[in-house]
Amino acid sequence: MTSTINWRHLLLWAVFLGGLALMPQFVTRGTLRTFIFANYLAIFAMSWDVLSGRTGYVSFGHPFLIGIGAYTSAILSYRFHVPVGWSIPIAVATTMIGGTLFFLPALRIRGSYFALVTLAFMELMYQLVQVIRPDLTGGTRGISGVQTLLRGAVNNYYLSLGLMGVIAILLWSMMRTRLGTALSAIGMNEEAVEGSGLNTTKLKLFAFMVGAAVAGIGGAFYVHYLGSIAPRALFDVNFLFTIIVAALLGGASTIIGPMLGAFFLTFLLEYLRPLLPGAERYFIYGLIALLLYMYEPRGLYELFHRGRARIFGGRA
Amino acid sequence: MSPLKRTGLATALAAGLAVAGAAHADIKVGFIGALATDTGQSTLRGAQIAIDELNEAGGVLGGQKIVLVTADTGQDVTEGIKAYEYLAETEEVDFIISGCIDDVSLGWLPRMVEYQIPTLDTWTSNIGIIDKLVEDYESYKPYFMNVAADEALATLYVDFGKDILAGKMGWKKTVIVQEDTAFGNAINGLVTQLLAPEAGIEVLDTIVYDVATVDFSPIFNRAVDSGADFIYLISSVNSQVISSQYVKLQVPLAMTGVNVAALGQEYWEDTGGAGGGISTLSPVPSVGFALDPVSKAFAEKYVARYGNERPKFPHFNGFNAYHGIKQAFAAAEVAGGFNNTSWVTAMENQDVVLMKDGEVWLRYGFWKPGEIEERTQRTYPHNIHFDISPPYDDGAPSMVVIQWYEDGTNAVVYPEKYATGEFKVPSWVPSK
Amino acid sequence: MTQILIQGLLLSGLYALIAIGFTMIFSVGRVLNLAYGAYLMLGGYTYFWVAQTMHMPKPIGIAAAIGIGALAGVAMHRLIVRPLHSDPVAVEISTLILAVIIQAGIVLVFNDAPKVLHPIVDGVWRVGGATVTFNILTATVASWVILFALYHFVRKTHVGRAISAVSMDIKGAALSGVNPDRINMITWAISGALGAIAGVFFASYTQLSPSMWVSPLIIAVAVVIVGGIGSIIGTLIVAHIIGFMEIISTTLIAAELRGVFTMLLIIVVLVLLPRGLFGRGEL
Repeated sequence: MTSTINWRHLLLWAVFLGGLALMPQFVTRGTLRTFIFANYLAIFAMSWDVLSGRTGYVSFGHPFLIGIGAYTSAILSYRFHVPVGWSIPIAVATTMIGGTLFFLPALRIRGSYFALVTLAFMELMYQLVQVIRPDLTGGTRGISGVQTLLRGAVNNYYLSLGLMGVIAILLWSMMRTRLGTALSAIGMNEEAVEGSGLNTTKLKLFAFMVGAAVAGIGGAFYVHYLGSIAPRALFDVNFLFTIIVAALLGGASTIIGPMLGAFFLTFLLEYLRPLLPGAERYFIYGLIALLLYMYEPRGLYELFHRGRARIFGGRA
Repeated sequence: MSPLKRTGLATALAAGLAVAGAAHADIKVGFIGALATDTGQSTLRGAQIAIDELNEAGGVLGGQKIVLVTADTGQDVTEGIKAYEYLAETEEVDFIISGCIDDVSLGWLPRMVEYQIPTLDTWTSNIGIIDKLVEDYESYKPYFMNVAADEALATLYVDFGKDILAGKMGWKKTVIVQEDTAFGNAINGLVTQLLAPEAGIEVLDTIVYDVATVDFSPIFNRAVDSGADFIYLISSVNSQVISSQYVKLQVPLAMTGVNVAALGQEYWEDTGGAGGGISTLSPVPSVGFALDPVSKAFAEKYVARYGNERPKFPHFNGFNAYHGIKQAFAAAEVAGGFNNTSWVTAMENQDVVLMKDGEVWLRYGFWKPGEIEERTQRTYPHNIHFDISPPYDDGAPSMVVIQWYEDGTNAVVYPEKYATGEFKVPSWVPSK
Repeated sequence: MTQILIQGLLLSGLYALIAIGFTMIFSVGRVLNLAYGAYLMLGGYTYFWVAQTMHMPKPIGIAAAIGIGALAGVAMHRLIVRPLHSDPVAVEISTLILAVIIQAGIVLVFNDAPKVLHPIVDGVWRVGGATVTFNILTATVASWVILFALYHFVRKTHVGRAISAVSMDIKGAALSGVNPDRINMITWAISGALGAIAGVFFASYTQLSPSMWVSPLIIAVAVVIVGGIGSIIGTLIVAHIIGFMEIISTTLIAAELRGVFTMLLIIVVLVLLPRGLFGRGEL
């Protein structure tokens, strides 16, 4: 992994994001709506990847963080009429506090146990949202009629694309620094990183904070896009499944990977709709995800690389 | 498996027809709901039968054919939003009929405000949606709900308490057992407020339980120990668990209230017969409900066509979808189409009164904005025009009370006008 | 008081039965099988189909459930765990995906509507103010018998000792002539069968529904976390802690906080005692 950023990288980013920016010229509004969901899923998957894909602390409770961001902003703006300009930053800050809750167990445990404790966080949140102050959270029915930022598919598409693009480029630049290298090294061998004199605790805390912040931003903007929120849609195994699978299917520990995975999954589900209207859709969708993951755990990113290597001979 | 396949086939056929008849600009109706549920299928098939009838009668709006397209929500809120977007932007439907559950409808509601597509809900009874129409009529006005809002059912329940539970059975004390959901809290609040002053029934204790409760014996023990005459249950999510444990444990207290699982004809099959003695409020036309000739003809048609698949008999929302589609198109004929405010006005003026034996039996009409319901002293814009005071001659009652007997039969037990059977205490409950 | 004692014992017995199959895989295969809840679902639905839809005798239904469970266990081991070389994180993620697939499959075959099982044994018994159904009593007694049999199987039989050996030290077991792969597969089969039978009892307590796999999985996870990578005895003890905690909170504190206490227990134990109350024991 080279640490320098050269013009070729910038060109690739410009082509990628520029291409996406031209989409509204070519596709229908319905397809654009699908793109919007893909963009948000990409943000969630990138956020999961910073926290889990890099450091190896696999979180099964990521919806917990996204949910904190979404609920905070939704409650503030819907119940207390706080302007969105304030509610979203407050939501992001609250999510980062939630991120420290994840960090506490990570000081002592990792691997399967860490995954489980984060899963317990998600379940706890699911139950608490319904029990504690249902007058604020709306209980099981959730809140409907949350203020939306923009109207129309095209506007919302540019908003989500802009968010995704900025987050992707910031994360990408960060990961090209020594910091990013150190984070990935934790994922491979935490003891060795510690042995080389780096403070792994600080590094992990940093990764968790960045991951939580991105989840908070994503969650808050997402709820102001959807216009409604319900516990069953957020603190749910299916949502968790989509996020993790998007990150892994695309290629963990990369930036473009989780984005690829998110686009692949969202469009797969949407294109199955006219062919298989009912539950068959989720069955096929899960099966494809499982087979891809089993066949190539490093994801679509790796497949593309290999394909390119075969065509051009050698890796770029 | 087969109902899903057949629906797929029906959609494919419908799509084929759409291509064949492309010369006419067809009218597209979108269905939103969960295809794998009895609820979703009831609405979908009710709508399908109404549409087929309209098409066979020569089409609508100057001979155009109606095409039905479906979008599955899988009972998931986010999928529900995607499904609504799909109907609005990819299929560009003219009208949407929904068989969604509460939180899914609330999920896509902001999308309806954005697209302003006329939408009719046939299952959810959430008063929160009607409240939104009260607050902001202009934004929400394409929305109609032809099930009585849940707030109106509490009133009827209190009447049932007064006439039957206190009046006939002589019960004066109750214990409320409530599932911990927003619906449960809302109903509990309304009933607790009214039960003592109106029906003279004292609430001794309220037990709120977690939706995922595995073992209900401690809860039933607490209820029995409270010294109440009967249990008042409020359960909408996992009601089968508590009712079947009630039967299996042979709890020595009668239990009545709200039990959503018992609303469909499949209840007996799904509980394997372990559900006798349960009574619940039900929207009309419920199981065991005597039908007027028009609804009866629909039900017969339904059974002839779908009688071998679940649900074998339409749930209440199947009837609502059937009558609702007919009404929506009648309104469209008046207004000259769907995409204008004149459709909303025409729909508000729709009023179908279904008579049985010379009496008002069912009524499909809507409360107009600003129109005040006398007993609750509030407005219910675009909610079905229900009637909660006897003799129910201004519309159907908001709900009826039904009971499943221990032999697997069922009947409406209240109000008297609609009763087809008598309220009975389960055989294992000692008489007072 | 008697009520709490009786109901606590009954519920804990069921929880122990739910958790044991999950513990075995964690102990022997060193992976978390997040599709474990799906065994319960497969077992419950198989029993429902055989006994209630086809009206065959109940023992045949139970046998069919056990067979399907064991088969599912072997299939998971051959098709997922082995190709992934038992990499814990990869197995967790694949089994999570698998659980979602099985859920969709159940919706396809049986429809979304929840279903209630007949009691496996009819009747009730009123004792000390508590009402106990014979069904629940049977579940608890069956759970004790199964756990007892399993304990002896692991201690006394050749295969059982091999399982125990692999759970302690794979390399050591391999050196002494045990084929860890075969033992692993047998353990997966047993785990699947245990999950399926637990599913029949669990469903006869509650109901069958396509999302029923989540809550028993959480119970199993709670037992494993609180107990540490468990022995059979450890599982039994922790199942009682969780079962009693639930009954006490339902009866005396607040019924709606039932699940909250379990989650808090998991988090507190994991943060304070990462190895669980009993650390790592032999199976």
